[in-house]
Amino acid sequence: MVEENLLVSPFGWGAVVLVITSLVLSYRVLFGPTLADRIVGINTITTKTVIILAIFGFIAKEYFFLDLAIVLLMVNAVGGLILAKYMEGAK
Amino acid sequence: MIEYLLLLLGESIMIFGTLGILRFPDVYTRLHAATKCDTGGAMNILIALAIASEASLLIKLKFLVLAFLIALINPMVSHAIARGAYKYGIKPKVVVDMYAWDNP
Repeated sequence: MVEENLLVSPFGWGAVVLVITSLVLSYRVLFGPTLADRIVGINTITTKTVIILAIFGFIAKEYFFLDLAIVLLMVNAVGGLILAKYMEGAK
Repeated sequence: MIEYLLLLLGESIMIFGTLGILRFPDVYTRLHAATKCDTGGAMNILIALAIASEASLLIKLKFLVLAFLIALINPMVSHAIARGAYKYGIKPKVVVDMYAWDNP
Protein backbone atom coordinates (compact mmCIF):
# COMPACT_ATOMS: atom_id res chain seq x y z
CA MET A 1 0.00 0.00 0.00
CA VAL A 2 1.88 2.98 -1.27
CA GLU A 3 0.98 6.36 0.14
CA GLU A 4 0.49 8.77 -2.74
CA ASN A 5 1.89 12.18 -1.96
CA LEU A 6 0.66 15.26 -3.78
CA LEU A 7 4.02 17.03 -3.98
CA VAL A 8 6.03 14.21 -5.56
CA SER A 9 4.85 14.66 -9.11
CA PRO A 10 5.31 17.95 -11.06
CA PHE A 11 1.57 17.90 -11.75
CA GLY A 12 0.98 18.20 -8.00
CA TRP A 13 3.09 21.35 -7.94
CA GLY A 14 0.99 22.57 -10.84
CA ALA A 15 -2.13 22.05 -8.73
CA VAL A 16 -0.52 24.05 -5.89
CA VAL A 17 0.21 26.91 -8.30
CA LEU A 18 -3.41 26.82 -9.47
CA VAL A 19 -4.69 26.99 -5.85
CA ILE A 20 -2.43 29.98 -5.10
CA THR A 21 -3.55 31.86 -8.23
CA SER A 22 -7.19 31.15 -7.38
CA LEU A 23 -6.67 32.63 -3.91
CA VAL A 24 -5.07 35.72 -5.46
CA LEU A 25 -7.98 36.00 -7.91
CA SER A 26 -10.53 36.07 -5.11
CA TYR A 27 -9.49 39.71 -4.63
CA ARG A 28 -11.22 40.45 -7.96
CA VAL A 29 -14.34 38.60 -6.81
CA LEU A 30 -14.56 40.31 -3.43
CA PHE A 31 -13.60 43.89 -4.36
CA GLY A 32 -14.48 44.04 -8.06
CA PRO A 33 -15.78 47.50 -9.00
CA THR A 34 -18.68 46.24 -11.12
CA LEU A 35 -20.80 43.09 -11.40
CA ALA A 36 -19.06 41.95 -14.60
CA ASP A 37 -15.66 41.90 -12.87
CA ARG A 38 -17.00 39.54 -10.23
CA ILE A 39 -18.48 37.25 -12.88
CA VAL A 40 -15.16 37.14 -14.75
CA GLY A 41 -13.37 36.19 -11.54
CA ILE A 42 -15.90 33.48 -10.70
CA ASN A 43 -15.62 31.93 -14.18
CA THR A 44 -11.83 31.84 -14.05
CA ILE A 45 -11.78 30.31 -10.56
CA THR A 46 -14.25 27.60 -11.65
CA THR A 47 -12.12 26.68 -14.68
CA LYS A 48 -9.07 26.41 -12.45
CA THR A 49 -11.08 24.15 -10.13
CA VAL A 50 -11.90 21.87 -13.10
CA ILE A 51 -8.18 21.52 -13.84
CA ILE A 52 -7.41 20.86 -10.15
CA LEU A 53 -10.02 18.05 -10.13
CA ALA A 54 -8.48 16.50 -13.25
CA ILE A 55 -4.98 16.65 -11.71
CA PHE A 56 -6.26 15.01 -8.49
CA GLY A 57 -7.84 12.24 -10.52
CA PHE A 58 -4.58 11.73 -12.39
CA ILE A 59 -2.40 11.61 -9.26
CA ALA A 60 -4.65 9.45 -7.07
CA LYS A 61 -5.55 7.19 -10.06
CA GLU A 62 -9.24 7.63 -9.20
CA TYR A 63 -10.70 8.45 -12.55
CA PHE A 64 -14.23 9.32 -11.44
CA PHE A 65 -12.86 12.80 -10.71
CA LEU A 66 -12.90 13.35 -14.47
CA ASP A 67 -16.67 12.89 -14.56
CA LEU A 68 -16.96 15.38 -11.68
CA ALA A 69 -14.81 17.82 -13.67
CA ILE A 70 -17.02 17.50 -16.77
CA VAL A 71 -20.17 18.10 -14.69
CA LEU A 72 -18.62 21.15 -12.99
CA LEU A 73 -17.62 22.56 -16.40
CA MET A 74 -21.18 22.23 -17.70
CA VAL A 75 -22.60 23.87 -14.54
CA ASN A 76 -20.08 26.69 -15.08
CA ALA A 77 -21.32 27.15 -18.66
CA VAL A 78 -24.99 27.28 -17.70
CA GLY A 79 -24.32 29.59 -14.75
CA GLY A 80 -22.25 31.98 -16.86
CA LEU A 81 -24.92 32.17 -19.56
CA ILE A 82 -27.66 32.79 -16.99
CA LEU A 83 -25.63 35.56 -15.32
CA ALA A 84 -24.95 37.14 -18.73
CA LYS A 85 -28.66 37.13 -19.57
CA TYR A 86 -29.37 38.66 -16.15
CA MET A 87 -26.87 41.44 -16.86
CA GLU A 88 -28.52 42.13 -20.22
CA GLY A 89 -31.90 42.57 -18.57
CA ALA A 90 -30.90 44.48 -15.44
CA LYS A 91 -30.24 48.13 -16.06
CA MET B 1 9.49 14.92 -21.51
CA ILE B 2 7.02 16.68 -23.81
CA GLU B 3 4.29 16.54 -21.16
CA TYR B 4 6.39 18.50 -18.68
CA LEU B 5 7.05 21.17 -21.32
CA LEU B 6 3.29 21.39 -21.98
CA LEU B 7 2.64 21.59 -18.21
CA LEU B 8 5.16 24.42 -17.82
CA LEU B 9 3.58 26.31 -20.74
CA GLY B 10 0.09 25.90 -19.28
CA GLU B 11 1.13 27.01 -15.80
CA SER B 12 2.91 30.10 -17.14
CA ILE B 13 -0.18 31.01 -19.19
CA MET B 14 -2.30 30.62 -16.02
CA ILE B 15 0.03 32.86 -13.95
CA PHE B 16 0.18 35.62 -16.58
CA GLY B 17 -3.59 35.44 -17.08
CA THR B 18 -4.03 35.97 -13.34
CA LEU B 19 -1.70 38.97 -13.47
CA GLY B 20 -3.73 40.35 -16.37
CA ILE B 21 -7.03 39.97 -14.53
CA LEU B 22 -5.59 41.75 -11.50
CA ARG B 23 -3.85 44.60 -13.30
CA PHE B 24 -5.85 45.52 -16.42
CA PRO B 25 -7.96 48.68 -16.19
CA ASP B 26 -11.27 47.60 -17.74
CA VAL B 27 -13.82 44.79 -17.79
CA TYR B 28 -13.22 43.94 -21.44
CA THR B 29 -9.43 43.81 -21.21
CA ARG B 30 -9.77 41.68 -18.07
CA LEU B 31 -12.11 39.39 -20.01
CA HIS B 32 -9.49 39.10 -22.76
CA ALA B 33 -6.87 38.02 -20.22
CA ALA B 34 -9.32 35.62 -18.55
CA THR B 35 -10.19 33.91 -21.83
CA LYS B 36 -6.52 33.45 -22.75
CA CYS B 37 -5.84 32.10 -19.26
CA ASP B 38 -8.74 29.66 -19.23
CA THR B 39 -8.62 28.25 -22.72
CA GLY B 40 -4.90 28.12 -23.46
CA GLY B 41 -3.66 27.12 -20.03
CA ALA B 42 -6.39 24.59 -19.33
CA MET B 43 -6.07 22.88 -22.72
CA ASN B 44 -2.27 22.69 -22.42
CA ILE B 45 -2.45 21.13 -18.94
CA LEU B 46 -5.16 18.65 -20.00
CA ILE B 47 -3.21 17.51 -23.09
CA ALA B 48 -0.14 17.08 -20.85
CA LEU B 49 -2.24 14.93 -18.47
CA ALA B 50 -3.55 12.85 -21.38
CA ILE B 51 0.00 12.20 -22.59
CA ALA B 52 1.40 11.42 -19.13
CA SER B 53 -1.46 9.17 -18.00
CA GLU B 54 -0.75 5.42 -17.87
CA ALA B 55 -4.38 4.37 -17.85
CA SER B 56 -6.35 2.80 -20.67
CA LEU B 57 -7.22 4.54 -23.90
CA LEU B 58 -10.72 5.38 -22.68
CA ILE B 59 -9.36 7.47 -19.79
CA LYS B 60 -7.00 9.35 -22.13
CA LEU B 61 -9.95 10.00 -24.42
CA LYS B 62 -11.85 11.38 -21.44
CA PHE B 63 -9.08 13.94 -20.78
CA LEU B 64 -9.24 14.96 -24.44
CA VAL B 65 -13.05 15.26 -24.27
CA LEU B 66 -12.62 17.59 -21.28
CA ALA B 67 -10.16 19.73 -23.28
CA PHE B 68 -12.56 19.82 -26.25
CA LEU B 69 -15.47 20.88 -24.03
CA ILE B 70 -13.35 23.67 -22.54
CA ALA B 71 -12.49 24.86 -26.06
CA LEU B 72 -16.20 24.88 -26.92
CA ILE B 73 -17.71 26.36 -23.76
CA ASN B 74 -15.24 28.94 -22.46
CA PRO B 75 -15.14 31.41 -25.41
CA MET B 76 -18.94 31.19 -25.66
CA VAL B 77 -19.41 32.19 -22.01
CA SER B 78 -16.82 34.99 -22.35
CA HIS B 79 -18.62 36.36 -25.41
CA ALA B 80 -21.95 36.30 -23.57
CA ILE B 81 -20.45 38.08 -20.55
CA ALA B 82 -18.93 40.80 -22.76
CA ARG B 83 -22.27 41.37 -24.52
CA GLY B 84 -24.15 41.39 -21.22
CA ALA B 85 -21.68 43.85 -19.68
CA TYR B 86 -22.11 46.23 -22.64
CA LYS B 87 -25.90 46.02 -22.38
CA TYR B 88 -25.59 46.53 -18.59
CA GLY B 89 -24.12 49.97 -19.24
CA ILE B 90 -20.38 49.56 -18.64
CA LYS B 91 -18.52 51.68 -21.17
CA PRO B 92 -15.06 50.51 -22.33
CA LYS B 93 -12.14 52.87 -21.68
CA VAL B 94 -11.04 53.09 -25.30
CA VAL B 95 -10.72 55.87 -27.86
CA VAL B 96 -12.66 54.16 -30.64
CA ASP B 97 -15.77 52.16 -29.71
CA MET B 98 -16.79 50.35 -32.89
CA TYR B 99 -19.50 48.30 -31.19
CA ALA B 100 -21.37 51.53 -30.45
CA TRP B 101 -21.14 52.50 -34.14
CA ASP B 102 -22.88 49.31 -35.21
CA ASN B 103 -25.42 49.24 -32.37
CA PRO B 104 -26.60 52.76 -31.61
